[in-house]
Amino acid sequence: MSQSLRPYLTAVRYSLEAALTLSNFSSQEVERHNRPEVEVSNSSAELLLQPMHISRNENEQVLIETSVNSIRVNIMVKQSDEIEQILVHKFTRFLEQRAEAFYILRRTPIKGYSISFLITNKHTESMKTDKLVDFIIEFMEEVDKEISEMKLFLNARARFVAEAYLGEFVY
Amino acid sequence: MSDWRRIDIDAYDPESGRLNREDLIPSYPNQITLQDLQPTISQLRSFANSGDINSAIQLATSDVPYNTDEQTKLQYVYAVLEVLVQVRQADVINIIKGLNSQQQDSLAKFLYKGMSMPEGQKNGGILLSWFEKLTQVAGVTPIVHYLSDRRTV
Amino acid sequence: MLHLQPHNLLIQKTLTEAIEAVNNGTPLTLDRIVSDFDYTTFHISNSDEEKSTLLLSVKTKAWASVVNCGDLLSYLQSSFTKFNGIEIPSNFENGYNYTLALDLKQLDQESVVQASLLKTMIMSFPFNLSFEEFNKLSSQPAPTTEYELNNINNNAPVFKIEYRDDENIFIKPSFDRITVIFETIFQDETDKILGKVFLQEFVDARKRNRGIQSAPQVLFSHEPPLELRNLSEYSNYTDISSSKRFITFVLFPRHFANDELKFKSVVQLTLFRSYFHYHIKCSKAYLHSRMRYRVDTFVKVLNRAKVDEEEDSKDADSEQHVRRTITGRKVVY
Repeated sequence: MSQSLRPYLTAVRYSLEAALTLSNFSSQEVERHNRPEVEVSNSSAELLLQPMHISRNENEQVLIETSVNSIRVNIMVKQSDEIEQILVHKFTRFLEQRAEAFYILRRTPIKGYSISFLITNKHTESMKTDKLVDFIIEFMEEVDKEISEMKLFLNARARFVAEAYLGEFVY
Repeated sequence: MSDWRRIDIDAYDPESGRLNREDLIPSYPNQITLQDLQPTISQLRSFANSGDINSAIQLATSDVPYNTDEQTKLQYVYAVLEVLVQVRQADVINIIKGLNSQQQDSLAKFLYKGMSMPEGQKNGGILLSWFEKLTQVAGVTPIVHYLSDRRTV
Repeated sequence: MLHLQPHNLLIQKTLTEAIEAVNNGTPLTLDRIVSDFDYTTFHISNSDEEKSTLLLSVKTKAWASVVNCGDLLSYLQSSFTKFNGIEIPSNFENGYNYTLALDLKQLDQESVVQASLLKTMIMSFPFNLSFEEFNKLSSQPAPTTEYELNNINNNAPVFKIEYRDDENIFIKPSFDRITVIFETIFQDETDKILGKVFLQEFVDARKRNRGIQSAPQVLFSHEPPLELRNLSEYSNYTDISSSKRFITFVLFPRHFANDELKFKSVVQLTLFRSYFHYHIKCSKAYLHSRMRYRVDTFVKVLNRAKVDEEEDSKDADSEQHVRRTITGRKVVY
């Protein structure tokens, strides 16, 4: 793991551990409703806690928005060029289309971020919190790895294809 | 008005008991201005210039100006950021060990604030190393305090 | 499958089947439409008069522009009639550009291959004209002054194959080289970027790999190359923002020294677009399968977080001492 990645992931891990203390909280606005307060804007500011920004640099950031019964984890994945942009977009879209398998994945990311997770008290009741944190951390690690591997593959394939084609002209 | 069903009528009702962001800011008996703060900021700068990061951090975290407007807070955060990014990696852990728990809480606030601004994101690496050392010394405590504290920097 | 084949496999297969059937005395009744790249369709049907004669008709988008280049019909006639069993009928099938009459009794393996190359043969006509033009230009004394050079370059014809809606191939012979220019457009935003990666590799491949140094030079540009500036449509081309790109292959005499090399080079060039797009699609398919795999591993990690329900209920059982039936069902009081 690279030198600057470790503190980044540590910071995210600690922030998540602190934030994942969720309790069941019925809506104060609508009777018999129980909704993730972090998703309901402009009502009940007292239920929202301070948002946490964790940034490695301008292109790699995590924003954890917290509330009494839910948190939203927004991840900005590194996109240093056009190809990575398209790969990240394709990959996150692919995941979001399978959001039901991921329970905590939000179908659309918050503006400005590549992918968002929404964790509610329902999730922390049915899943182990530390394992959930592990998942987010592993996800962040793997996404970067995956994107750079896909990019390498693409270049390697393009090179191979081009050389094979031009090789046909060599007699 | 076709979407009258969607009107949030509670927003017009002063008795609704709904709180917004402004209601949550703790009230202070007095407000301080940028002029009042200027001596501290220049003191911070001079500590930073002379390389005495330890004293600078001690000063920055001991009397955090909560009772002021956003503009002034921002000036203060810039000054603190300047100090934070000038530290030598090896000194960080000892500086943090010298802080009491309230100062550590304040430091966590500055770190989160710094990472939410482009100025701090440029130096994300160094802020993260502060953060890592802070958690090594104080664990998750300052973060939990940060989450629930309405006094912001 | 790394390389695409110039001949149409389905035609080959159909013809082989038909020959076999004729030899067995049970001629097939055929009426088949076969598709190929670049808006090309073939029609294989029985001749009205003779059961053992098949008509192979082709309709291709490139036809109109290739006919304009010169005497295409006699070129095709001379290329095909030298093979056993291939005849050119006096009139072509309605709705198609060209027709070959194949006598199944005389058709041999070589003729089948040739017939399936019909589309390539049509496309190769402008290339052959360029080879002739090159021979003419290169037999003259080489230009010594800038003026003579420009004169040759300005007067040499440019052959244009309009083989797709907005994408054309241009072939420009000169006294020491032949330049082949492909236009390319990407509809899809993703393809555009992947295409850029691939094209860049085509340009760099020759520089990097010593083994293919003798391959044609490849250039890639956003604006029309100098060779096309004389054409009316490109004389003041300023639409840099459009997604049109130009890929230039520079063929040197070593690439068309004899007939066999000529044919190989032409085949490769006519397949360039298909080859290139085919591999973009392949890459996308691979990325897709990779993402699929990755999703599975992520789900596995997430499932580790789930509290095992089975375990929970077991704990509850031991506390309350639930009675069970012999099949394991709980007894509910």
